[in-house]
Amino acid sequence: MLEIASLIALGLFAGAMAAALGLGGGVIFVPSLVVLFGFEQHIAQGTSLAVIFPTAIVATIAHARMGSVRWHLSVPIGLAGIAGAVLGARVALGLDADLLRRMFGVFLILLAARMAWRAWRINDQSEPAPDPS
Amino acid sequence: MNTALTKAIALGAVAGIVAGLFGVGGGVIVVPGLVLWLALTQRQASGTSTATIVMSSAAAMLAFGISGSVDWRAAGLVLIGSVAGAWGGAWIAERINERALAVTFAIVLAIAGVRMVL
Repeated sequence: MLEIASLIALGLFAGAMAAALGLGGGVIFVPSLVVLFGFEQHIAQGTSLAVIFPTAIVATIAHARMGSVRWHLSVPIGLAGIAGAVLGARVALGLDADLLRRMFGVFLILLAARMAWRAWRINDQSEPAPDPS
Repeated sequence: MNTALTKAIALGAVAGIVAGLFGVGGGVIVVPGLVLWLALTQRQASGTSTATIVMSSAAAMLAFGISGSVDWRAAGLVLIGSVAGAWGGAWIAERINERALAVTFAIVLAIAGVRMVL
């Protein structure tokens, strides 16, 4: 029962953050499932994708209603993305789970560094920002 | 072949590989690519990116699903929360301080990343 509630809560948090930041949510789902729920890396990634797909449909509808989708770009990016995704998935499925988990960790750290750097630049260039701490 | 289309295809291919390799949507590649390469605003990039994720995540999900690497029960439970969260998030994106959100997110990701490397 607690696990059921925890998984739903994870979805609620990740879904909101994902839509707000324009992500599919995987950068929250995968580490949460591995670190908090003890999932094996491949299962965490596959499960993440199974949540991302329908969530992205809902988020796209919400964005489209606000006129924020540029379809002439979405379609070619998405089609090339399908080819890339199949290739990436085949590579991932052939890797050892420990290695894949460590690679994912490095990916997250790089992502965090980039986001922090970007946030810093927004601070330099725009409106008075709130206290960074 | 026009330049924007070439850029879009290159961006999609790279984002797709990352999506399939790491089980993520690929928005982390597509959003900055659309802003820096194709001159979209952050908001347009967010919306355009989610539409591309529908396609790439479907392909990656099928690949993992066929190999038996999906816990469908857990996915269903997370999804229940996620769908509600997605509606809320699109609303939040219109109103929140983007910098505060990015900083918070970066800290959480860094902590999780270190845990996974160790």
